[in-house]
Amino acid sequence: MRGSQIVLLSLMVLYALYIVRLRSTLSDRLIYLGLAVVGAVLVLRPDWTNDLAARLSIGRGADLMFYLFVVFSLFHFAATAATIRRMQRDLGDLARALALLTPGAAAPPARASGAASPRTP
Amino acid sequence: MSSTRIVIAAFNEAAVIGRVVALLRAAGWSVVVIDDGSRDATGPQAEAAGATVLRHPVNLGQGAALRTAFAFVLSRTDAEFIVTYDADGQHTPEQVLPMLEPLRDGSAEVTLGSRFLQEADAAGIPASRRLLLRAATALARRTTGLALTDTHNGLRGFTRSALQRMVLQQDRMAHASEIQHEIARLRLRYVEVPVRVSYTEYSLAKGQRFLSAVSVLWDLVIAKLR
Repeated sequence: MRGSQIVLLSLMVLYALYIVRLRSTLSDRLIYLGLAVVGAVLVLRPDWTNDLAARLSIGRGADLMFYLFVVFSLFHFAATAATIRRMQRDLGDLARALALLTPGAAAPPARASGAASPRTP
Repeated sequence: MSSTRIVIAAFNEAAVIGRVVALLRAAGWSVVVIDDGSRDATGPQAEAAGATVLRHPVNLGQGAALRTAFAFVLSRTDAEFIVTYDADGQHTPEQVLPMLEPLRDGSAEVTLGSRFLQEADAAGIPASRRLLLRAATALARRTTGLALTDTHNGLRGFTRSALQRMVLQQDRMAHASEIQHEIARLRLRYVEVPVRVSYTEYSLAKGQRFLSAVSVLWDLVIAKLR
């Protein structure tokens, strides 16, 4: 197995671990900032991409940039999907609150016999 | 019967919801209908037939509508048992009591309707839909460890305490899988109850298709994202 394959597979495993267990809004933002800095540096020093690509047996610096772009795209997809899911959840909670205000829902409150509704984390 | 609420999630079911509710009311059941952002007269029809109607301002999905129903029943009533019931006329009021009996005698906390416990009950199911349901059931058995025969039946019964403990988040059709995962996670006592579903041209047109399974899988995967 070549160095580039090991690096990319490792990035995929880290990516899966990140999106399922570790990610947060703050960490997403730090990663975006970090990637922006790396991107700026590589624009200023394009010869570094060729050096790094050669060390990883990838070939050309452009190929390395492509692989990194794929990783970035997957990260961006996961961050966006999670954001959309949170918004959908908030929309659902809002619609539910409105539904419970519907005139037909104005029933007397229950006797105190436990939690008010199924728990939503 | 005041200790039981029948809850129905309905979206654009004005053609049938009035009759569905009327039959349940005639049988003495209290009915709660969640109008999930319908663009027709689903809400008014259900209300005219005697249901308590709550309305979502936008369509959110069957899972979201049932969660609203649960929130209403648990916070605004003292119902001890909750039965979910389809809006499209596939179920009959006579099927409610068998769903409640195990809950009332304490032998179960959740009852799940099944079309496949008795061969005769499955007779009316189209072959393609039967294949899809079998595949979904096999997947659910693997992922939850529950010995289920029908994982997408809209007829379910819950005790109040079981529902209070469940954590439900899925808005659309993946809610069925989520309920099974919660039964497994909480180790709730459950039992399957044989039900025969009455398929009509209308209800078949409304039912799940193969592409719905893709959406369910997608929703389940996305839910894993932190």
